[in-house]
Amino acid sequence: MMDAGRHPLIEVITNAEVTGMSGGPGDFRVQVRKHPRYVDEEKCVACGQCVEACHIVQGNEFDYNLKARKAIYRPFPQSVPAAYVIDMDHCKKCWRCVKVCEPEAIDFDMPARDYEFEVGSIIIAAGFQEFDASALGNYGYARFPNVITSLELERMLNASGVTKGHIVRPSDQQTPRSILFIQCVGARGEGGRPYCSRFCCMNAVKDSLLIRQHDPEVEDITILYTDLRAFGKGFDDFVRRSFDEQSAHYLRGRPSKIEEEPGSQNLTVFVEDTLEHQLKRVPADLVVLSLAAAPSDGAQALAAMLEVGTDQYGFIARRDPAVSAVETARDGIYVCGSAAGPQVIPDCVAQASAAAARAQMFLTGSRSADEKQEVEPLDLSGSPRVGVLVCHCGINISGVLDIDDLTASAAQIDGVVVAAEHQFACSSVGQDKLIELVKEHRLNRVVVAACTPRTHEPVFQETLSGIGFNPYLLEMVNIRDQCSWVHATQPQEAQQKARTLIRMGVARAKNLKPLMEGKSPMTRAALVIGGGIAGIQAATDLAWQGFPVVLVEKTGELGGRLRAPNLKYLYPTMQPAEKVLKQKLMRLKDSGARVLLNSEVEDITGYVGNFEATLSGAVDEKIQIGAVILATGADLYDPAGEFGYGRLTGVITSEELEQRLCHKPAAVQVNGAPPRSAAIILCVGSRDEECFSGCSRYCCPTGIKQAILLSEQGSDVTVFYRDIRTVSIGAEEMYRKARGLGVLFVRIPDGRKPEVLGTEKVTGVRCYDALLDRTLEVEADLLVLGVGMRPLEPETSKFHDILKASLGLDGFFLERHPELAPVETSVEGVLIAGTVQGPKDIVDTVAQASAAAAKATVFLAHDQVRLNPTVAVVDAEKCRGCGCCAEICQFQAPKLVDDGSGVFIAEINASLCKGCGTCASWCPSGAISAQHFTDRQVHAMIDAFFETEAAR
Amino acid sequence: MTKAKTTITDQPVTATGTETWQPRILVFACNWCSYAGADTAGVGRMEHEPHFRMIRVMCSGRIQPAFVLKAFEKGADGVLVSGCHFGDCHYIFGNERAVEQFDKTMNMVKLLGIEPGRLRLEWISAAEGIRFAEIINEFTEQVRQLGPSPLSSKRLDDLRIEEEIDG
Repeated sequence: MMDAGRHPLIEVITNAEVTGMSGGPGDFRVQVRKHPRYVDEEKCVACGQCVEACHIVQGNEFDYNLKARKAIYRPFPQSVPAAYVIDMDHCKKCWRCVKVCEPEAIDFDMPARDYEFEVGSIIIAAGFQEFDASALGNYGYARFPNVITSLELERMLNASGVTKGHIVRPSDQQTPRSILFIQCVGARGEGGRPYCSRFCCMNAVKDSLLIRQHDPEVEDITILYTDLRAFGKGFDDFVRRSFDEQSAHYLRGRPSKIEEEPGSQNLTVFVEDTLEHQLKRVPADLVVLSLAAAPSDGAQALAAMLEVGTDQYGFIARRDPAVSAVETARDGIYVCGSAAGPQVIPDCVAQASAAAARAQMFLTGSRSADEKQEVEPLDLSGSPRVGVLVCHCGINISGVLDIDDLTASAAQIDGVVVAAEHQFACSSVGQDKLIELVKEHRLNRVVVAACTPRTHEPVFQETLSGIGFNPYLLEMVNIRDQCSWVHATQPQEAQQKARTLIRMGVARAKNLKPLMEGKSPMTRAALVIGGGIAGIQAATDLAWQGFPVVLVEKTGELGGRLRAPNLKYLYPTMQPAEKVLKQKLMRLKDSGARVLLNSEVEDITGYVGNFEATLSGAVDEKIQIGAVILATGADLYDPAGEFGYGRLTGVITSEELEQRLCHKPAAVQVNGAPPRSAAIILCVGSRDEECFSGCSRYCCPTGIKQAILLSEQGSDVTVFYRDIRTVSIGAEEMYRKARGLGVLFVRIPDGRKPEVLGTEKVTGVRCYDALLDRTLEVEADLLVLGVGMRPLEPETSKFHDILKASLGLDGFFLERHPELAPVETSVEGVLIAGTVQGPKDIVDTVAQASAAAAKATVFLAHDQVRLNPTVAVVDAEKCRGCGCCAEICQFQAPKLVDDGSGVFIAEINASLCKGCGTCASWCPSGAISAQHFTDRQVHAMIDAFFETEAAR
Repeated sequence: MTKAKTTITDQPVTATGTETWQPRILVFACNWCSYAGADTAGVGRMEHEPHFRMIRVMCSGRIQPAFVLKAFEKGADGVLVSGCHFGDCHYIFGNERAVEQFDKTMNMVKLLGIEPGRLRLEWISAAEGIRFAEIINEFTEQVRQLGPSPLSSKRLDDLRIEEEIDG
């Protein structure tokens, strides 16, 4: 959020709505009305004095009214912009806030402002709103105080939230001893919503673990569920952790009603335990409703304004839900995240990048931020002349600490030539003061004692850079977040701590060295490895933007698993896969990407911006590229020996069934006739510690799609499943359709496997059905095994070796961060698209491929790579060439090179180094130094701590 | 909320005229998780013990034995090394290196005759403000119970006084 707020090319307009739109792709005109916040964002320094002054107390919407706010408030602590807003419905215009506002930011007469923007494309990321739980009377929400929603719980669990992470009952503010979660409230057929909200299962599991951590007083946590939908990467392992730690008791069933005991206001939940076949009354001190996601109130109007339409539930409609998560009915308008239906965060982030990739096709003009004007660097040589600026932060710091004392004590430190204070160092006036100090006192080191460097260091660095002052000669001392805010009740100790911290900061500042940002050239071209749907999409997106792209495919044809005869229909729309592939290939052809079939990548050397790939096959050449997208896909599990596969006729995999469907006529036959009965066993090779502990995600909807196809051609179909995880768009509806057609669903109990009957050919399947509490034996002429995905070998190992990108424990490529960087790897400039990162279906694969393309353009848009100077450097004199650094670095930055005389020494590539400094502490000869966090700087700080504070 | 008096000097904080001993603790924190966790404690105004000072590095993998030993040499009564939880490291496996460094450091600390309870390794995420505050409180109390470090000037002063009395 802060990155977006600070980006020079992003203008954030809050408190605003779209009021009109005209034009078309590449040339939209959008009208926006910004409602007044009555506080000038430019002037407000977020000091909070107005809030202190205001005497009107309201419920805070962000905390679901569990916490109070004033009529002038910040919606939540990290809000962007960091400015207050006035709730005019409740403000009495008493002027108290105006009187205390030093920057004079408050304006009661602020008008609404209308804007018109000319834009090439539009992205809808308007989110969702939670289902209104009071619509379902049987759960007693809003009637019983101790029935709360998952979002209210979330606010309590938040460490900086309402109850600082502790769970309390709204009725008596006591810690509940028993908590019961009800899943699927307003979802999967309830409250008129057939779809699954995707995030609630994992959220309840996570909450149970968190509550256990925070509140040992909570004795019982029960989760009432229908299917545990842990479909994402690593989700099943997370659930297993919950089982292992016994964080919750899982009970399969939906409650019929909740009753409240008068007086104690304890609750009783009536539910049928469908696994134990018992009606149960579960007592609970607190009930949490896991709410479904609903379309936001404004979605309909927004969709109408932008002429994109909504789907049957009221979410922004996707043009093609089987293939593209981000395309709307109109070119140039894209959607991402939960505006188009409920999503988990990793998928939201991937879709957001995908939408950005598509949006770029209609953008012209400046891609990169205007290059900063080069400023003549100041001469900062000579012995350290340190200036210290102590910030009051309104009353945030000065309310606890004595600022005069801090400046006076700082002024006495050796090397400090001036110590000053300011009300708000980060305000424009404060920044001017800083510049004035630097110039007047010819400072060559600056210490700002204020808030956290994590948010404000860039602000001060930018100011200093603006006058040619090397930004790496700045040190920030955190006397707010880590001092005045947390030691307010012990002001004397806080004062002592602040003094010491400033001394430590000055000590480090004196040892700081000016660092220069390096630059290395960027080859503005990309290599895409793998010609399946992911590779096709990534190459198309990049080539349409005008970047040279080489797409390398080892077989003689593009299309991977979409190619006939591998896949017949795509769920949920039942479009023929062949047709979709044809369209994608046409777009690829038009894009101008260079396609090399029957070719392989032999080797890749270099680093971001400067890779060299050696190709073989159709061509033998070396190509230069700036970024690599890995889209080699996944393999399917081979069930040889299991469930009679390979031994009994009539036992086939889900892929083989697709292949048979591709034949003409599109019918599945067993011994020349359509099967009278068919069985489908899911989770073959998935959710199994022995092969792949995770969920393969695509098999539930695929199995159900196949069940429908078989059922429609006259077979009696039984599906054996563990949890039905129909989480993709339209999949839950398919599940209902299948049940409507008479497909029988049998739940496989945990730890057991169905038994396949027959000697030469399959005749049936026997399995204990936990829901019916008896062993079922069903006839089956055909048995289809829903096989999971697994890493494709040898490709995965080969590219792991060549690129050094990390693999996860599951053997798939590891994303740099599941939420923040789902398509990036540990190697900068190497991106992953599709199932190479883990099992997923086509729509998610395509979104991820576009996301990878978008991330590649982040590099390719510039003709140079900016190199962060806070990296590790090697002192060649001291290096003994042991190679320890190269061994431990995850980013392949250090390398042993011949120094010309046959002696090997380490060299660190600044383009690859992330600056963690681990090698510097690891180096046995002390040859590596972590710039900006050198041994000397750290030791100086340690010295300063203990010199300042004499023994007590 | 009372304001500190301007007369505070660098002299030890005293209560009722006699010196109350408080431990001096150095905390090393990584930029991405544990330092951010301390900030989160701040945003949530989670009060905790004030007797520690923090040094920020980019990754817990940067925290080498020499830093910790130096702190003890200079008189630290306790040292806390903190980083991201496993799997959360911004640099993938930096925290696993930190563990190896920490184990080495712990061995040396024991060799030097410093109680192992004075050195601790903790994982704190950016969201875990409460956890940060709790760990600080708990560790401060633990170090307080151990008393001044055998290497601190306080302990050396006490020794000198004892010697004078004995002699």
